[in-house]
Amino acid sequence: MLILVWRNSFRKKMRFWLTCISVMVAFFLFTTLSVVNHALTANVSNSNQYRLMTSHKISLTQSLPINYKQKIAALPGVKQVSYASWFGGFYQNEKNQLPVTAVDHETYFDLFDEYYIPTEQLIQWKNTRTGIVIGQSLADKYGWKIGDKVPLSSSIWMNKSGSFNWSFTVSAIYQTTDHSGTNNKVFFQHAYFDKGRAYARNSMSWLSTEISDKANVDDVIVAIDKLFIHTNSPTRSTTEQVFIKERAQQFVDMAMVINLVVVAVFFTLLLIVCNTMIQTIRERNNESAMMKALGFSSLSLIQGIYLESLLLLGLGAFAGSLLAYLLITAIGQNFNDFLPGISISPSHYLTVFALVNIAAAFCSAFPALAIKRLVISKTLGGQA
Amino acid sequence: MKNNHNITLKNINKSYQKGTNTVVVHDNFNLTIESGEFVALMGPSGLGKSTLLHLMGGLDQPTQGEVIIGTQRIDNLKQAQLTQWRAENIGFVFQSHHLLPVLSAQGNVELPLALTPLNKKQRQEHASYALELVGMSERANHYPKELSGGQEQRVAIARAIVSDPHILLCDEPTGNLDRKTADEILVLLTQLNRNFGKTIVMVTHDKKAADYASRVINLESYIFEPKSIEVGEGI
Repeated sequence: MLILVWRNSFRKKMRFWLTCISVMVAFFLFTTLSVVNHALTANVSNSNQYRLMTSHKISLTQSLPINYKQKIAALPGVKQVSYASWFGGFYQNEKNQLPVTAVDHETYFDLFDEYYIPTEQLIQWKNTRTGIVIGQSLADKYGWKIGDKVPLSSSIWMNKSGSFNWSFTVSAIYQTTDHSGTNNKVFFQHAYFDKGRAYARNSMSWLSTEISDKANVDDVIVAIDKLFIHTNSPTRSTTEQVFIKERAQQFVDMAMVINLVVVAVFFTLLLIVCNTMIQTIRERNNESAMMKALGFSSLSLIQGIYLESLLLLGLGAFAGSLLAYLLITAIGQNFNDFLPGISISPSHYLTVFALVNIAAAFCSAFPALAIKRLVISKTLGGQA
Repeated sequence: MKNNHNITLKNINKSYQKGTNTVVVHDNFNLTIESGEFVALMGPSGLGKSTLLHLMGGLDQPTQGEVIIGTQRIDNLKQAQLTQWRAENIGFVFQSHHLLPVLSAQGNVELPLALTPLNKKQRQEHASYALELVGMSERANHYPKELSGGQEQRVAIARAIVSDPHILLCDEPTGNLDRKTADEILVLLTQLNRNFGKTIVMVTHDKKAADYASRVINLESYIFEPKSIEVGEGI
């Protein structure tokens, strides 16, 4: 029977390969878009829901006074507070953009304990005013080692000498188990940033607050914002999850578009393959009837059709996934800064496997019904 | 000792629905074909010759009555049971050969053996023997499109006999063939009947073809014209 399935599949070669290519394109899009979608939204799902983020009520680009840290720390339910400012930054030229953040060196890594920094390196960094903490992948990419002097530039922040170039020293290298690939960040002391910049001193971009286990998140959020409601710099606090989600809103929306595209592609694919299989079985009506007359059960013929669908979809899915793998690998190598950690997870292959089987079952359903309903005596003719 | 593979049709009623009309094809029809007979069913179109053949082969079921093959009543078997029964007991030859174009002559003949416990080598041996019987050994590796109409029908006969069924049901087996090729096929059927004891029931319009049979049943003298019974007033 397997040989029959194989030969029947390639009976109309042109039709088989054209359908196979459409399956390939669908799975290529599915794999590529799913991976990109995952890379764009990974930070949202990996964020800590017990950490709060506080920024200026109007916009994240508006600064907040640094002394807000002490005021928030005094609130009930607050465990610790840290703050940070966006530096932007690039290395050598603007093509090498880096996510550089100035952080409160005393507290930041106590709150964000997902960054694993060897204790002696962390101490070294805290004691080095121009020190930076860099991710392992960044160290690997540029060959930076502890003690290396690294000049970084900012397109936003000018220093007191009127230059946009800032000097740093690699003091620590962090690792993270976070698969979203945040191993390419750069952190440096906010104190150095504050003292070095030409303007907007004693301010920062946002505060991070860790609440105690028993504290009510909503209560703390209300308390923080209430504290500054009548000041020149009112705040807006949210959980870290909401904060990241809002920041990534454009990407999340894109994710929705991606999902819609994937659904549309699959729906079209199902129609195409389904139509092919219906056409196939219609062409073989007489043969199916003959096989039933010979003693083949409807089930065995349906199994044959299912295996043909599986072969068609499986081959297309394999080719599509392979192409996507090659593309993702190339993107991963060349655009790691833009989409860190972009890679195909093993679970995606399981999804593809499941989808191929479900699609094969779906596409075999109508031909199966036709086979089941096939009346041998009517199909093979003869006069009544 | 001869096995009992008599074909018995007892009080057969067969009708079907055509719109609001019920068309009666057979009304209280009785027929017995003895094991080892070569019977030709003749008569004009529309008298239900093929229907009888389909009833004997379990491809169709009577509206009323009994179809008994040997000692087995088959009209009340379920589809799955009928399918298995057909595989073990009946060989079909149709006017159109219905060979699978993707398989060679050998592959087509081997096909019914896929339902048996025979291994690949045994299947190949059986198929080769069946092809030899119908004189198609040399064309075993040819595909249907590479064969003539007569050769295709020979392969179809080999496929029908490969699992050694007791009964061969042939529906106009020479209908698409020229006289010479038709005679060759009929000689082959006669040999299968005489040398291997196959019970053959052949539906034909062709009087010359019927001459090869040991008994000819003319349905025209058996039953009346099919009649229509109006059901309801219609729409």
